[in-house]
Amino acid sequence: MKKFVNDPANFVPEMLEGVALANPEMLRYVPEYNIIHRADRPHNDKVSVIQGSGSGHEPAHIMAVGPGMLDAASPGGVFSAPPMEFCYECIKLMNSPKGVLVLINNYQGDRMNWDMAVEMAQAEGINVKSFVIDDDVAVQDSTHTVGRRGVAGNFFVIKACGAAAERGASLDDLLKLAEKVNSQVRSMGVALTSCTPPAKGKPIFEIGDDEMEVGVGIHGEPGRRRDKMKPADAIVDEIFDAVSSDLPFKSGDRVALMINGLGGTPISELYVLYRRAAQRCSDAGLTIARNYVGNYCTSLEMAGASLTLLRLDSELEDLLAAPAEIATRIF
Amino acid sequence: MKEITIQDVELAIKTIADTALRNEQYFSELDSAAGDADFGVSLASGFRVVQKDWDQLDKSSIGGLLLKISMIISRHVGGCSGPIWGTGFMRAGALSKDKTTLTLDDLEKMLSASIEGIQQRGGAVAGDKTLLDALIPIRDTVREYAGKSDADAGEVLREATRVATDAIERTKDWVAKRGRQSFTGERSKGTPDPGIVAVATMMNDLCKEVGIETDTAS
Repeated sequence: MKKFVNDPANFVPEMLEGVALANPEMLRYVPEYNIIHRADRPHNDKVSVIQGSGSGHEPAHIMAVGPGMLDAASPGGVFSAPPMEFCYECIKLMNSPKGVLVLINNYQGDRMNWDMAVEMAQAEGINVKSFVIDDDVAVQDSTHTVGRRGVAGNFFVIKACGAAAERGASLDDLLKLAEKVNSQVRSMGVALTSCTPPAKGKPIFEIGDDEMEVGVGIHGEPGRRRDKMKPADAIVDEIFDAVSSDLPFKSGDRVALMINGLGGTPISELYVLYRRAAQRCSDAGLTIARNYVGNYCTSLEMAGASLTLLRLDSELEDLLAAPAEIATRIF
Repeated sequence: MKEITIQDVELAIKTIADTALRNEQYFSELDSAAGDADFGVSLASGFRVVQKDWDQLDKSSIGGLLLKISMIISRHVGGCSGPIWGTGFMRAGALSKDKTTLTLDDLEKMLSASIEGIQQRGGAVAGDKTLLDALIPIRDTVREYAGKSDADAGEVLREATRVATDAIERTKDWVAKRGRQSFTGERSKGTPDPGIVAVATMMNDLCKEVGIETDTAS
C-alpha cells in the first residue's frame, strides 16, 4: 500500500499540525493531547461543543472545528479512541461557565474514555454533559458496540448543536436538541474496498474484487452481509429502503439527504448515487429541503458510501442553514 | 482493628505494580487463549509509569494518591483495560479524598464504589467472567469483617486473598460474556480469565509482602 506518510507513528500528529498551519487565524493545536480548538474559544457566554473519536474519519471530527460547528476535538490514533486524559484535558481547556457538551459516537472505546473523563471533570466542578449518537440502522450490536453505531449522522448533530450554541442555547437545551436530531436521523453504508491504517500497514479486512460489504461500520466492522457487486441504483435502493423504513420516513416529510463518501470513492460516483436517492425520495413523497454530497465521515481510503436521511422541522431547517465555517474549504 | 494507614495503601499499590510488571508475559499468554493477547502488556505499560513516577506522586491523602494512579492507568493502559482499571481507582479515590486512614467500613464502601464504577464503564455484571468475579467476593469478605469489632487485619487479608484465588477455578469453565474474550464465545471455556487471575495474583503477592501465609499456591 502506497501512502503519503513519514514515520507512520507520527501520522496523526503531522496531520493535526498541517490542519493548524493551514488555519492560523481560526485554530490552535495542543500537541500533548491531540487537541484542535477554535482560537477564540472557550467563551464565557457560550456552551463549548466538543467531539473526539479515532482518527481516520476526516473531515470528522477535527476538520469540523470552526464557528457554528465544534469548538474543539481531540482524536485518538487511527481507528482508536482518544485516551481518557486527552478527553479530560479537552474538557478542561474548553470549560465555560455555560457548560461543555461532549458529543460521542456510539463506540465502546470512545464511550468508556469520554464517560470517565466527564466523570472526572464533573468531580472537579466542571459543568459538562455528554450525548451519544447512534444513527446506523445496519446492525444492532457489532464488534465494537453495544447498540447501534454512530456514523455520518453525527454531522447533523454537530451542525445543529453548533449553530444553537452560537446563538446562546443552554447546556440543557443543547442536550434536548442533540436528542431530537439523533432521534430523527438514520444512516447506512456500503464498502467496496478495505483500507489500511498507516501504522498497521495491512488492510483491516479482505474483500473480493466483485464483492461489497452491505451495512459496513466506519472502522470496517462487518455489516449485514457480504454480497456480489450490483449496479449503483440497486445499491442505493437497498440502503434507501433500509434507512427510510427504519424511522420510518413518511410521505410529506421534509428531509436533509446526505450521500457521504467513505474516502476512496470519487465525487462523480457520489452524484450517481445522489441521483437515484433523490428519485427515491421523490417517489416516496419526501421533500429534500437540504442536500449534502461529499466526504463527511470517512474510513481512510475505503471506497464506499453511506446514505443519511434526517427528518426536518422548522427549527432544524433553520439551524442547518445557519452560517458555519470549518478547516477544510475549496474557495 | 487498627486503622489502615496511607503507608499500607502505598505498600498495596507498589505491590500491585510489581505484580503487573513481573507477570507481563504470563497475563498476556492467558489472554491469548481467547482474547487478543495484549492484557499483560497493556497492564504493565501503565504500572511501569506508576513505578517510574512513584517518588513524585502526591501522597498527602489516600484519595489523592488513588486519583493520581487512576489518571496514569487510564492514560497508559491501552484498550478497554485502561478506563476499566482507571475507573476502579477513581471511584475508590473519590470516597477517600481527604483521608489519611481507613476503617474496614471505609474500605468496604470504596470497593463497592469501584465495583459499581467498573460495572457502569464496561457494562459487565457478576457472572460475566471478568475481574468483577474476583472483586465482588473480596468486597463481601471485607463487609463481613467490617461488622465485627475484633477483626484482625491479617485475617481479613488472608480471607480476601482466599476468595479471590478461589474465583480462578470457580469461573474457569464459564463462558465469557464481556470484553474481548466474549467474541470467541465457547473458546473462553476452560481458560481462566486474565483479569481474575491478575487480581488474585496481586492479593497473594500482597500477603507475601506483609508476611501472611496463604494456603493457596499463587
